[in-house]
Amino acid sequence: MREGSDRGIRIAVGAATLAALAALWTAATTLEQWIAPVYFPTPQEVGNALRQIVLQGYADGRLHEHFLQSCKLVLYGFAAAVSVGVPLGMLMGWSRRAEALVNPAFLLLRPIPPLAWIPLAIVWLGLGDAAKVLVIWFAAFVPAVINSYAGVRSIEPYLIEAARSLGATRGMMVREVLIPGALPLVFTGLRLSLQACWTTLIAGELIGAITGLGHLLYQAGLDLYPAMIVVGMVAVALAGGLMTALLAWAEKRSMPWRTS
Amino acid sequence: MHARLRSIAVGIAIAAAGIGAGAQQLTEIKVSFQPAVYWALPFYVATEKGFWAEAGLKPVFSTFPAGVPQIAASASKSWDVGGTGSVPAVLGAARYSLLTIGITNDESVGNALLATGAKADGFLKNPQSIKGQTIVLTANSTGDYSVQSCLAKWGLKKTDVTIKSMGQAEIMSAMSSNNADLGGLWAPNIYTVEEKIGAKVICSGKDAGAIVPGAIVVRADYAKEQPQNVAKFLAVYLRALKWMNGHRNEAIAMMKKFYEIGGVTISEASMRKEFDTRPVFDLAAQLKIMNRAGGNSEVDKWMTQIGGFMKGAGTLPEVPAASRYITDEYMTLVDKDPKLKAFANRAD
Amino acid sequence: MTQAVLSRREFFRLTAAGFLGFFGVWAVLAASGLVQTLFLPSPLEVAGKFFELTQKPFVGYTLQQHLLSSFGRFAMGFGLAVVIGIPLGLLMGWFRWLDRIVTPLFDALRFVAPIAWVPFAALWFGTGIGGPVLIIFSGAFPPCVINAYRGARYVEVRYIEAAQTLGAGHWRIITEVLLPGSIPSIVAGLRVSAGLGWQSLIGAELIVASSGIGYLMVKGQSNLSTSTVMSGMIAIGIVGFAIDLLLRALEARIERRGG
Repeated sequence: MREGSDRGIRIAVGAATLAALAALWTAATTLEQWIAPVYFPTPQEVGNALRQIVLQGYADGRLHEHFLQSCKLVLYGFAAAVSVGVPLGMLMGWSRRAEALVNPAFLLLRPIPPLAWIPLAIVWLGLGDAAKVLVIWFAAFVPAVINSYAGVRSIEPYLIEAARSLGATRGMMVREVLIPGALPLVFTGLRLSLQACWTTLIAGELIGAITGLGHLLYQAGLDLYPAMIVVGMVAVALAGGLMTALLAWAEKRSMPWRTS
Repeated sequence: MHARLRSIAVGIAIAAAGIGAGAQQLTEIKVSFQPAVYWALPFYVATEKGFWAEAGLKPVFSTFPAGVPQIAASASKSWDVGGTGSVPAVLGAARYSLLTIGITNDESVGNALLATGAKADGFLKNPQSIKGQTIVLTANSTGDYSVQSCLAKWGLKKTDVTIKSMGQAEIMSAMSSNNADLGGLWAPNIYTVEEKIGAKVICSGKDAGAIVPGAIVVRADYAKEQPQNVAKFLAVYLRALKWMNGHRNEAIAMMKKFYEIGGVTISEASMRKEFDTRPVFDLAAQLKIMNRAGGNSEVDKWMTQIGGFMKGAGTLPEVPAASRYITDEYMTLVDKDPKLKAFANRAD
Repeated sequence: MTQAVLSRREFFRLTAAGFLGFFGVWAVLAASGLVQTLFLPSPLEVAGKFFELTQKPFVGYTLQQHLLSSFGRFAMGFGLAVVIGIPLGLLMGWFRWLDRIVTPLFDALRFVAPIAWVPFAALWFGTGIGGPVLIIFSGAFPPCVINAYRGARYVEVRYIEAAQTLGAGHWRIITEVLLPGSIPSIVAGLRVSAGLGWQSLIGAELIVASSGIGYLMVKGQSNLSTSTVMSGMIAIGIVGFAIDLLLRALEARIERRGG
């Protein structure tokens, strides 16, 4: 019932924060020059960079081309990560045997940075989208596994006992107890996983990308063009925020019992 | 052990000289370079041979995997002087106030377009067949510049090929696994792929008539504060270059050690090639190529060409004016000081 | 809890089977000749290279020295992320106003890849330690905050109400109700955070090429030595594994004390 007004406040405070930050930025770089323009671009420089990339293009493409290409890669990587990671994590959470069997490989592979997979991804899959998706997958699948695992483990034992004593079948157990019980943490995992997709994008697009936001950021880094880096960061943040909002909506829809 | 004894001996000699000259103290100078490249070898040589101390300097080294982070780090005053590629040097001039005060070497041969062994002969016979191919290169680098010059020489436009930008290590991975046929590389990476996967040079910067220099750079504010140190630094570099060319075999032994520290293992033949194919400039030659008596100097022309390439790539809005960042002021300082001049021209 | 706990023996048997299966598949693939050594060297070859790297310096240092310098950077960045991230997440879970102010900023920043900060890190810190720490921090920070926050938000309301009835203030509710209640979520977050911090290392080590396991791997790659690259991966894997083991021991200890 307070949902609507809370949302309003949230947006208002958020907007006020961002506005305050923008004012601070302008003051720091332009009006007072606390920060030399060499260290951080001024709003005006960022505006010019934005105009350049929207109208003329930069790093072999215009902003929307980079944006769409990256969204595509992230969606591929996310889908691949979720479809492997969530079932695997839940299985490991449920079955101690599966955990003991899978854990060694998982724990050995998990800490390896996505960037470290680049050499192997190139020799295995070449310079196309597949190699980029592989690199993104490696990063995104870890949080999906860990949180799904933790989600199943966090289910109160009495719920499982109760279901058992009521004679629940295996399928019912999974559908009625495990999935709903694990869902809050599974969604935490999905959020982190989606975030990992975006943060690994640069690494993925180091593999001979022609367009993409990661490629854009890399190129802007090579050009020492801070204003364009900021434009790229904001674009990534917007795209990531948009996808997270979609995920939050899905979360709410799938857990109607958690209204707060 | 031997080296240590020798350096002690050198140390004693310096100390003795120092006493004679009125006990001068060593001044710290922050020097930056990239590991395992030919033009950085003089820094190593100067250390091994004790040239720095002899000139009254105490270098503090920092190394960078590529020119761009090196240039970025100059903004936070992490280093004072150094060597870098010509593309980063122009970038540093445009973005920050980096001065180019000398040329490390002419690396026109050391930047090239290579093809994997199986495809090389076809491309060599008929360069036009490169049309429609994919070339992997490191955008905004001297390698990129050489490849573009090669394409221009064959009458090909940038749009005739698909260009994918990657780091040098990624390019080598892609070529070694036959995921890329054509790659833009620089030395010593060129030699690594020649030796390990049988790749061949199709066209170097030199073949395309492009001059790719390497730059000696200094932060403008440091140069203003400590012109004497900059001059001493140049003298040390020039003397190390002289020594390298006068003692080829010893220098190659040092190169081997230096490259190994940088993680590069190439054959001695390739190392000799590095010496043979990269012209360097002594004091007189430096002054000559930087002389503006007849209008623009040679260096002005080379660097302005590179500026034009960077503008064409969309990196820079304008080509920086050569007079703004190229100066022979510090070479002249060396030349005017008889002691430093003699030092710079010594080959021992 | 889910399935019955395994006997110690069975656990070790299965873990060993998992290890053997992993290396077995790898060895068979490499030995079958289906893939070139360049693509996938055999486990033995990698083990040999690994051993060699621990003895003979590569790019200036031995493997242990590279690992040590990487670990130092990691520990600083990760430590900073934990010390700032967890309290911030808990506070955001309790104080609505803080949540409202921080969330929009945080939501924007956390999608930005740690290595996107490399140019700024180089600009701001140059060759100082600040650069790598900034990059590892930006990787490790978000999971700390998110998991602490969500853990705090999902603590059952009746516990909070009970504490309030007993007259607990903000401080006591946060430290005695929210913190213990969100421990499982926080520890899951720490594990992800440590993983991401480790992953940001290579990006961090692109700034200063002088040492570090990331640097070793990049150099191995440009030498076209896949076994060096994989030795680096394994070294990272082992240290990551050890960190995870530590965090899990912590988790088990807290569970025992709490239960």
